[in-house]
Amino acid sequence: MLEKNQLETLLSLCLDSKADFAEIFEEETTSESINLLNGIVEDVDLTNRKGIGIRIYCGCQSVYGYTNDLEMESLIEFTKSLKEAFGNEQKNCQITFKEETIENKHKIEINPFDVELKDKVKLLKKANRYAHCDARIFKVQCNLLSVCQHVQISNTKGKLVQDTRIRTRLPISVYAKENDKMQSGFEGPGASSGLEYFSDEFIKEKAREASRVALVNLEAKDCPSGKMPVIIDNGFGGVIFHEACGHALEASAVSKNQSVFANKLNTQIASSKVTAIDDGTIPNGWGSQNVDDEGNPQQKRVLIKDGILVSYMVDQLNGRRMNMESTGSSRRQSYKYEPTSRMSNTYIAAGDDDFEEMFEGIEKGLYAKKMGGGSVNPQTGEFNFAVNEGYLIENGKITYPVKGATLIGSGAEILMNIDRVGKNLARAQGMCGASSGNVPTDVGQPAIRVSSITVGGTCNE
Amino acid sequence: MNKQKWILKAQELGIQEFEIYQNLSYEKEVTWFNGTMDKFETSKVLGTYIRGIIDGNMSNMYLEQVDDDNCDYILHQLINQISIINSKEKDTIRQAENIEPIKKDTQWLTPSMDDVYKIMEQLEKKTLEYDERVIQVAHESWNEAKETISITNSKGIDLVDEDQLQYLAMSVVVQQGQEIKDYTEIEILPDLSQFKMDEFISRTVDKALLKLNSKSYPSMTSPVIFTSDAMRSLFSSFMGLFSGDLIHKGLSCLKGKENTQIFSKDITIIDNPRNLDALCVRSFDDEGCPTSKKTLVDQGVFKLALQSTKSANRLGLESTGNGFRSGSDIAVQPLNCCIMPQDHSFEQMCEQMNEGLVIESVTGLHAGIDFVSTNFSLQASGYSIKNGKRNQSISLITVAGNFMELMNDVEMIGNDLDWKYHTIACPSIYFKKCAISGE
Repeated sequence: MLEKNQLETLLSLCLDSKADFAEIFEEETTSESINLLNGIVEDVDLTNRKGIGIRIYCGCQSVYGYTNDLEMESLIEFTKSLKEAFGNEQKNCQITFKEETIENKHKIEINPFDVELKDKVKLLKKANRYAHCDARIFKVQCNLLSVCQHVQISNTKGKLVQDTRIRTRLPISVYAKENDKMQSGFEGPGASSGLEYFSDEFIKEKAREASRVALVNLEAKDCPSGKMPVIIDNGFGGVIFHEACGHALEASAVSKNQSVFANKLNTQIASSKVTAIDDGTIPNGWGSQNVDDEGNPQQKRVLIKDGILVSYMVDQLNGRRMNMESTGSSRRQSYKYEPTSRMSNTYIAAGDDDFEEMFEGIEKGLYAKKMGGGSVNPQTGEFNFAVNEGYLIENGKITYPVKGATLIGSGAEILMNIDRVGKNLARAQGMCGASSGNVPTDVGQPAIRVSSITVGGTCNE
Repeated sequence: MNKQKWILKAQELGIQEFEIYQNLSYEKEVTWFNGTMDKFETSKVLGTYIRGIIDGNMSNMYLEQVDDDNCDYILHQLINQISIINSKEKDTIRQAENIEPIKKDTQWLTPSMDDVYKIMEQLEKKTLEYDERVIQVAHESWNEAKETISITNSKGIDLVDEDQLQYLAMSVVVQQGQEIKDYTEIEILPDLSQFKMDEFISRTVDKALLKLNSKSYPSMTSPVIFTSDAMRSLFSSFMGLFSGDLIHKGLSCLKGKENTQIFSKDITIIDNPRNLDALCVRSFDDEGCPTSKKTLVDQGVFKLALQSTKSANRLGLESTGNGFRSGSDIAVQPLNCCIMPQDHSFEQMCEQMNEGLVIESVTGLHAGIDFVSTNFSLQASGYSIKNGKRNQSISLITVAGNFMELMNDVEMIGNDLDWKYHTIACPSIYFKKCAISGE
């Protein structure tokens, strides 16, 4: 990491222009991936990323540059080329740092980089063994991903803060075959934790769950199409909120009036049953941080309270555009991305509806037990997401598993159509892609019921 | 980086085969919003990938700070990684061989930033004036990129390749009543002074306007035409079927199907990284293997899968020159792969279909594709065809089916193959039926 005097030199150089603010993000990240296929170690890859991102603001305009040529002479030349975009102006500003020490809320017991490779392979072999629980399972792929990201963030307001983020994840893909049919199941548990997260029982539960889904899908029939009520179960089901609403509440979309929820603060945008939260402070949460990527403390943000929009997720630059304070929501994949407002751990809060009661009165509908990923166009609000494990509901009862379903709709409409919110809140892990790269995010919810949504299947009656 | 020092040290430490791949990239992006420069971004990044083999086992590392003094430490780390691998199949690194160069004749003229700003300002202004329903130019950017790659290894490979790219991108937002639609267009511009602004604006805005007044569609099984863009999106998602790596792992349903009819006899698929009609051409892949033109599917018959050195070794075959970098490892990837066009114009296909749907875009590809079962269910938009002509814009529907079955249900193939800036391309294809979900 650069020394204080080097940071001062570069930051004050940034301000020798029409710029009014500058920030330096330094990063040193080690990532390791161990890949096991059917019990055989196929690949071990190590990545060492080290570089710097320099950002300069002039009002609401931004200049961003990144490089891994870290010689001071090169950095000075690089900084000069950046600030010239705003036009030179000699100011000779002095920067005085107020060094911040942050409390690490995400304690690590077993640092994955202190553990021998062979011991990490043992973990993967356990997952492989547990997943091979049926003769129809012919392939199991397990990865152990470990990341240690050390960052230093400084700016012309005197901020100087460091943070270390350690994350581990164990994606398990299970493939099952019967006659000509082939299906897969997936579980991808992860956390801002060390290897203590992967207890024997936990690995067994996740591996068996991935296998169960693959086997269920072998029996699944084609999913019917059309508009119908859908019960979306907890955990990864929260991807519905992430896509249908979350992205459209990010300041990157709102500040430029590119969101269906722009200018809707303090108005009802969801059913009164919906309270939604984005909480970057959950201890050891997959999408948690101590500070965001602008060095501001992460926060718990209530976005929607009883259906009323109460907050957006705001970063510093878009905060300028919106005349709002940052909510500590600025994130980026690495120094190679200019940060912007992003979700962290986003979920619909638990309600008080009984799970069994949700099925009552549904003549024909879909029970989406496991969701896959999805995407949204925040401008139009149109979203889609895949159902990885689904069941047909007929006359209030689950009848048989169905495959190949997608749910589509418009975010503004779907939030109003949530008519039941259950009690069994759970979160699940995913990677979210947007303009500032892929960042780890949790999605979550209890089981919810949407009174009407378009189900895209292959079976038209 | 003293590459020879690293290679000699690796061999001294018992790494029998060793390779260094470097990638130096410069990028610049300027975005314009609401009458002013919004963002200026520039970068210079050098990435170094090393890989080594001991007793046929290979491991990879990606480094951003390479210090020759750390060579010993890094190589010991690599040896430690290799020692854990227990794959039965053995890997190799390629030897130097003759590579026929490709003459890249595009002259990239880098414009001054003043010229870029002038064009962007004018483009936004004229776009907003083009039609009163245009409410915003949501994104307008000018992008420049230069990249140099080099491969050096202990078996005599010492190769360098360079590439360059400049393009302009614009997203427009149109509104009528409460309905909002958008459309994004990209144009590759070796010389910005040759930019035909009016043509670009009408092409982009007209496509956005055509999406307005859209309705959903009844859930039914219907004849469909996938436009070349929609077909490219769908086909790209299933390109992995032709990956030697996934065939070896048993995850592609094409395993064991060589020389059998897998698609309609109208389908012929060719991969050719040397195709000068495409934007990106390569004379060798990221392992130093010469590239070549290959027929993957000939009149519906599966002929050949794509291979990297690793996947080919495992199947007892030769690499097809399709080993390209993906993260720190090499993956099997197509480059300039297309479904071959036929003679029918798009209008002829619509007339022939008479009634049905044209799918212009599919989204949600990362989630709505089940590669293993080859099922897909995707959000889609387009328009309906009545009496052989465009009738009604359609949105918020899904198209769903099984890719293998769909590719056996071909009615006609269009003549409108256009590579634009893509590395995978398709003509429009008229299919007998596909499941549609909507109202």
